[in-house]
Amino acid sequence: MKTTTMAFPYPVALDQSLTLETAVPAAYAAAPVGPKIIARQVRFFYGDHQALFENDLEIHRHKVTAIIGPSGCGKSTHIRIYNRIYELYGEQRAFGEILLDGENILDPAMDVMELRRRVGMIFQKPTPFPMSVFENVAFGLKLHYRLSKGEMADRVEEALSQAALWDEVKDILRQPGTALSGGQQQRLCIARALAVEPEVLLMDEPTSAIDPIATAKIEELINSLKSKYTIVIVTHNMQQAARVSDFTAFFYQGHIVEFGDTQKIFTNPANKKTEEYITGRFG
Amino acid sequence: MKPRPPIGRRLVNGVVSGLAAASALMGLLALAWIFWGVLSRGVGALNLDFFTSLPNPPGVSGGGVANAIVGTLAMTGLATLLAVPVGIMAGVFLSEFGQKSRLADQSRFAANVLMGMPSIIIGVFVYAILVLPRGKFSGYAGALSLGIIMLPVVARTAEDMLRLLPNTLREAGLALGAPTWKVTLTILFRAAKPGLLTGILLAVARVSGETAPLLFTALNSPYWESSLAGPTPNLTVTIFNFAMSPYPDWQQMAWGASLLITCGVLALNLAARFFLGEKHS
Repeated sequence: MKTTTMAFPYPVALDQSLTLETAVPAAYAAAPVGPKIIARQVRFFYGDHQALFENDLEIHRHKVTAIIGPSGCGKSTHIRIYNRIYELYGEQRAFGEILLDGENILDPAMDVMELRRRVGMIFQKPTPFPMSVFENVAFGLKLHYRLSKGEMADRVEEALSQAALWDEVKDILRQPGTALSGGQQQRLCIARALAVEPEVLLMDEPTSAIDPIATAKIEELINSLKSKYTIVIVTHNMQQAARVSDFTAFFYQGHIVEFGDTQKIFTNPANKKTEEYITGRFG
Repeated sequence: MKPRPPIGRRLVNGVVSGLAAASALMGLLALAWIFWGVLSRGVGALNLDFFTSLPNPPGVSGGGVANAIVGTLAMTGLATLLAVPVGIMAGVFLSEFGQKSRLADQSRFAANVLMGMPSIIIGVFVYAILVLPRGKFSGYAGALSLGIIMLPVVARTAEDMLRLLPNTLREAGLALGAPTWKVTLTILFRAAKPGLLTGILLAVARVSGETAPLLFTALNSPYWESSLAGPTPNLTVTIFNFAMSPYPDWQQMAWGASLLITCGVLALNLAARFFLGEKHS
């Protein structure tokens, strides 16, 4: 089955002087423009401890946005709000507004399960489920779609191919996902997240637990995925941020100190703190 | 400054290590002694009759405890069917849903108290709520009392086993848009399966040697019982009765039954170890 996706086949920078009716086909007339995610005045608390202060950030469509900063600065905390995964822990609370295509995801009326389908997440440590490679990828599909056996197999293959893993696992689909190598496990998790056709992919230090060669593969993968998805990656590795991202946000002590073009942040940062961090004077 | 010579510390270390090893050995020795005692005295009672016949009246040699074996298996089985689903669900509540809520705190406390409760009290309790009103001892009452003893053991092990799982597994499931119950059922249960199985087996092992709660509930019977509706023969009360009797034949039979239970509990524990070991390989 050929699946349709929500991705846009044209560059997003629409010419605003054209009217929508003439600029895009009718099917896309309602397609939202502007940043994919807009965070406004986001504050976050672990119990009484405030971890994020008035975060304002725009995540651009079909771009890779890197979030950098020293340990404990709130990078992971920030993106863990985007899919409301922090809610697993009762004492954690978020305030402010996070607009996903204009919809505030912090609104209690938001359907969290659908939100998490649209906003996928990859974790620091690969988290294969205790089931076969195939079932790992099929897990999310079964949750959100009603598919025949054949359609399921097609979608699993498609997701594994997108994650550049199909060739390595096509003969061992029935083996446990935990039997794969660390790098393969991480790509399996990416395939699992891609299978449910998300719009945004959050990656929380996705390569910090795997070796350099596997890391290179995943960075390549990130590059190939951005035409279809909007990607936010938290990383400790500044070379990685420079290599894979279009935009970079520098976090420090819960504040967003600087945000801009990756090129500019790394060559000509406006803020003294940013410069000190990227030149390795602290962190 | 010259460092203090380590002789004193070495000496203390030696003494403490020695004491610890001696204590461990004592525990092991006690187990070996019991096992040897039961084995040497009980093995003579084990023959085909022991497993296939009813007990003979005193003075008539031969006979067996077949009815008690079946009764014990039936009551333990029914108790397991009662306690395991409820216990696992309680464990899921404590670990996944309730966590730090008041209800979870109180349930956990209640489970701990119940676990430490002398089993005879549970027997008397079931006697009061089931045996007295119906006016008769029954295997159902026996199974219920065994189930009550198993319940907190299963619940607490289930909670502990689920808690041992890394939170990243929960987060990964939830991040795909799965509801908590689905994550628990399809991911956490699979990951914790060896631990959960171990908990169940240990709970079965724990009740398979219980005597006191059965004295008040199932009582005992020298006959074949076709249902659990009346007094039900069982190994532990049979051991109790036969061992207290003045007849050497019955005493011999009690040793045999003791050996049987000991081997059963041992087998359950070995199986539990096997399941846990599987997880680490």
